[in-house]
Amino acid sequence: MRRILIIDDEDDIREVAALSLETIAGWEIITAGSGADGIRAAVDFKPGLDAVLLDVMMPGMDGPSTFRLMQQNPAIAGIPVLLLTAKVQGVDRRRFAGLGVAAVLFKPFNPLTLASQISEALGWKD
Amino acid sequence: MITEGHRRMSLFPSAFIVLLLTTVCLLTILTLRLGARSRNQRRKLDSLDVELKRSREQGEQQKKKLVERSGLDNVKDEFISTVSHELRTPLTSIRGALGLLSSGLLGNVDAKAQNLLRIASSNTERLIRLINDILDLERMESGRAALNLRRCSIYDLAGEAMDTMAGMADAAGVRLELSCSAPRDSIYFDSDPDRILQVLTNLLSNAIKFSPPASKVSIQIEANLDSLFLKVIDRGRGIPADQLESVFDRFQQVESSDSTRKGGTGLGLAICRSIIQQHGGAIWAQPNPPNQNGAGPEQGARGTTLWVQFSRSTRASDAPLPPLATRFARRGKGLIVVCDDDPGVRVVVAEQLRQHGYDVIEAGSGEEVITLAHEQAIRQAPTPPISAILLDLYMPGLSGSETLQQLKGATATAAIPVIILSAVAPTERPLCAANAQGWVRKPFSEELLLAELGRVLETRDATCQILLVEGDQKVAEAMMAGFEEAGVRIGHASTFQKAVDQCLAGPPGLLILDLTLPDGEDFTLVDWLRRQPALHALPMVVYSGRDISEGEMLKLRLGPTQFLSKAKVEFGEVEELVLAMVDRLRGSAAVPVA
Repeated sequence: MRRILIIDDEDDIREVAALSLETIAGWEIITAGSGADGIRAAVDFKPGLDAVLLDVMMPGMDGPSTFRLMQQNPAIAGIPVLLLTAKVQGVDRRRFAGLGVAAVLFKPFNPLTLASQISEALGWKD
Repeated sequence: MITEGHRRMSLFPSAFIVLLLTTVCLLTILTLRLGARSRNQRRKLDSLDVELKRSREQGEQQKKKLVERSGLDNVKDEFISTVSHELRTPLTSIRGALGLLSSGLLGNVDAKAQNLLRIASSNTERLIRLINDILDLERMESGRAALNLRRCSIYDLAGEAMDTMAGMADAAGVRLELSCSAPRDSIYFDSDPDRILQVLTNLLSNAIKFSPPASKVSIQIEANLDSLFLKVIDRGRGIPADQLESVFDRFQQVESSDSTRKGGTGLGLAICRSIIQQHGGAIWAQPNPPNQNGAGPEQGARGTTLWVQFSRSTRASDAPLPPLATRFARRGKGLIVVCDDDPGVRVVVAEQLRQHGYDVIEAGSGEEVITLAHEQAIRQAPTPPISAILLDLYMPGLSGSETLQQLKGATATAAIPVIILSAVAPTERPLCAANAQGWVRKPFSEELLLAELGRVLETRDATCQILLVEGDQKVAEAMMAGFEEAGVRIGHASTFQKAVDQCLAGPPGLLILDLTLPDGEDFTLVDWLRRQPALHALPMVVYSGRDISEGEMLKLRLGPTQFLSKAKVEFGEVEELVLAMVDRLRGSAAVPVA
């Protein structure tokens, strides 16, 4: 069973995304409401954490900063990070392109296919 | 560090100055030697010098203007990006919650509730589309998006808009009324129905918002010999005479509190006008004549009529309009990435390309181009795929030749044509020349650049449009002959490996798969294609001698996929279907196939 960490400042989106991945794919979901909490959770759950779903626009530390901090922490640098963002314009996508995240998924996502989008992006066969 | 771009910008004027100075020296010596009257010649030289200065200043000014404009575009892009994000965030929760509820995965709901969920879901989807449309409009205004024109009935569209707005009207206690005085055959016009619906719902929403309770909003349709008119008449407080025109400006409202009280964005009428102008029509506002039916007693409350006018369609059929390109000269010709570390060169080239109907993304480094190209290839991005990359050779960081090598070395990006922009000749860089599809020597003229780009894009379009995967040689020959007769380029692969090789050499626009490969290699092929970022959404026609089960269909599906059984359809029909798909692919070159 996959274990995914969702970092998003919107309570509702965290809840819906978690429910979607739990119901559709049967994955175990951990959530965090900020970049800092997310990094702490990632370190705590490091063994068996398969991927991080990271929002971009968050107050305080935003998604890209969170990602960079994670990359600097050897304990969690290897966990694939997918951005899940409502920033979909060309100007935004160009910005994400240089980050080095595993993939960028866009909001509003389809709750029935979010899990398969993640699996596909990370090349998971199960 | 002097980059090639800087050199190019400065080389030309300095060469000119050196030449000029040399001429000055020579002339001076000559004058001294001859001791003759030199005043005339000097005056000529002076005037030449002034001329040179002036033209250089003009050039500088033009460049500055272009840079300024691109700065404004950036601000605009940023604004749109923020608005889009703010709208999408709440929609994400809504779409997610409704999607899960209506899927039934969380337990069944009764039929009535299910129906409500369906309504909510479909309207959420519609709202998402609408947001995308608004963003499209931005591109439309900058000449970067095409309308999907069809022959439509204005009466039907008005009816549909009314149905959509019925809920809002009910809630406001406003009656909606539709009447048509135009003859039944005169209500057709060429339009993009989604856009026109966007306009009509917007006009109705405005009219309802500003109507007093228990009043009515009428839509009236009229026609004359060459035009259609649609009027939306409300009995609201009216628009002051001096604002009848400015209400169409962005963020303009009659009263400053309207935006918060009425929940509008201030963009509605500006969007309506843009869409209508794109259609070659017009929209304007007029106060209702006094004593009109239902008008209020006081001067200020007699309401407004919004007039919309379109040209009538003279076409008899409702087939899509074929020569779109001639109607909209600036329709997107393809997405071009311009990569040069010199922003001056980038801005100028980008502007030239935009002037000629291309969409342009600027990139300042090789690294940027590579991530951009991968991202565009892998994601189902809302933007079209990259048609070509214009690449500077000398750049700090990843050089042009390294960038080219990486692009061509990766499956996802290998097929994107690359044109090198360089001061050196292709013969001096044979490796680059072999990998690149085009080459333009700097300094280049606009014509030269456009000609080379046109040539490269044509070559790309001419490569194998269809790949036929067919184990039976005889069947393959017959099918290929049929398609070649129809003027479609078709390639053939008789084994799994050959199909893979052909796809890697250049992705086809469409794949025909006859389930005749040995050992279930057909399935292996589809599975392989699905894992290729550049090919996973390839349109496909699966053609088989036997019935295909639903499970098999699931395994064989790529992009838009059609399943045909040889027992049920003639080969001619397959050909027709494939040709229609190819046409659609060509016609929607600006739309990603997803």
